[in-house]
Amino acid sequence: MPDHLAPTRAVRPLRLGVCGPVGTGKSSLIALLCRELAGRLDLAVVTNDIYTDEDARFLRSAGVLAPERIRAVETGACPHTAIRDDISANLMMVEELEAEYPDLDLVLLESGGDNLTATFSPALVDIQIFVLDVAGGGDVARKGGPGIERADLLVVNKTDLAPYVGVDVVRMLADATEARGDRPVIGLSRTDRASIDALVGWLDGVRERHLSGGLVPVDPGPMAPHFHAGEEHAHDHDHAHEH
Amino acid sequence: MPHSELMMLLLADARLPVAGHTQSGTLEGALANGLDPADVPAYLRTRLLGVTRVEAGTAVAARHAVVTGSEVVAVDRAWAVRTVSPALRDAARMQGQALLRLANRVWPASTNPLGEVPRPGRSTVLGTVAAHFDLGAASLARLVAYDDVQTVCAAALKLVPLDPVVVTGWVHDALAGVDEVVAAVADVREPEEIPAVSSPQIEAWAQAHAGTSRRLFRA
Repeated sequence: MPDHLAPTRAVRPLRLGVCGPVGTGKSSLIALLCRELAGRLDLAVVTNDIYTDEDARFLRSAGVLAPERIRAVETGACPHTAIRDDISANLMMVEELEAEYPDLDLVLLESGGDNLTATFSPALVDIQIFVLDVAGGGDVARKGGPGIERADLLVVNKTDLAPYVGVDVVRMLADATEARGDRPVIGLSRTDRASIDALVGWLDGVRERHLSGGLVPVDPGPMAPHFHAGEEHAHDHDHAHEH
Repeated sequence: MPHSELMMLLLADARLPVAGHTQSGTLEGALANGLDPADVPAYLRTRLLGVTRVEAGTAVAARHAVVTGSEVVAVDRAWAVRTVSPALRDAARMQGQALLRLANRVWPASTNPLGEVPRPGRSTVLGTVAAHFDLGAASLARLVAYDDVQTVCAAALKLVPLDPVVVTGWVHDALAGVDEVVAAVADVREPEEIPAVSSPQIEAWAQAHAGTSRRLFRA
């Protein structure tokens, strides 16, 4: 970044949340993004762990980022609370990183592995990815829930494992797409270059919107979208209207 | 300005967004290192005779410093020298940051006296905010001690799950000890009057907990 831009930043770093059930590959996805982006973006990571700093240690040992840029928030066995109802510990960690690294472009926040209902508060992250994996079962995408239906991006991870776990990836992605309307879905595998490019391309698009001031965080809810009497379709609150 | 009793309820409420759910009052370290779950009520009493008395006295001294225009930093130093375990100091400073963050946003005028205090402990911040809302010294001490009891008991429900009715009974039975803390510290004025009572076993458990890689609670 040129010196004249350093003292005051027009836009604070983008905050990207990665959530989803345990074991679906949230840490690996963050490691992948760090590998892809570290050459051109200034990055930091905040993990939310069940025990101490396991995920943070995994990421530090992956060598994708300087260890001091990967910090752990401990959640007192309440990973859901720490990203949704009382985000204080996470916000304090993000603000600490932003103060220490004034040139940050992107802060990646990993939720503790929780259940299908856990999503980030829009007061904590600007944009969020919900991660499922094929090994969790082909029917999970059909079950729906706030993250699957309304996170900004749904990643169906580990598509390369599909033949070994008897899952029809095409069908699973179609189910996911149907549950999400026009929101994007990416079937991801670290052995599938095109899928990685799609993920990075999506994030670059998000960054563009963030830098231009056009990105408004949207809450996937745990609440389902509601109907008004006389209306035929459900709607969210990402478009303004009077009640 | 809201009634001071309402402010006390607000500050004592577990729903206050200060990351209280990350704290166990060293209970996790205690259970992991030999405390019998049946002895949690005794653990509560021990804390009220030791670490919690220091915290409550610190809050009362910080309140007095703000009310009389004295330096709050001296109170925070007095607290630090009475809190031997670095793990306990660190946990209290993290909680202090969370409360300070909240107070700076919702009651910005309340935190002015903390301007020069580097990373104040939670009780220093709490006493400062309490002064702003005219919360009395005894009420403030009651709040600190009560919150400590509830912190440990809420963590107990996660760590050694049992009927929550039983745990509420533990809280009730600890209230006499809370009253003793209030009687012991409500008249504290100067930093040197803050009780200096160490709790070596709790401090050792806090240190052991800080070094483990398999903990659920931050402290």
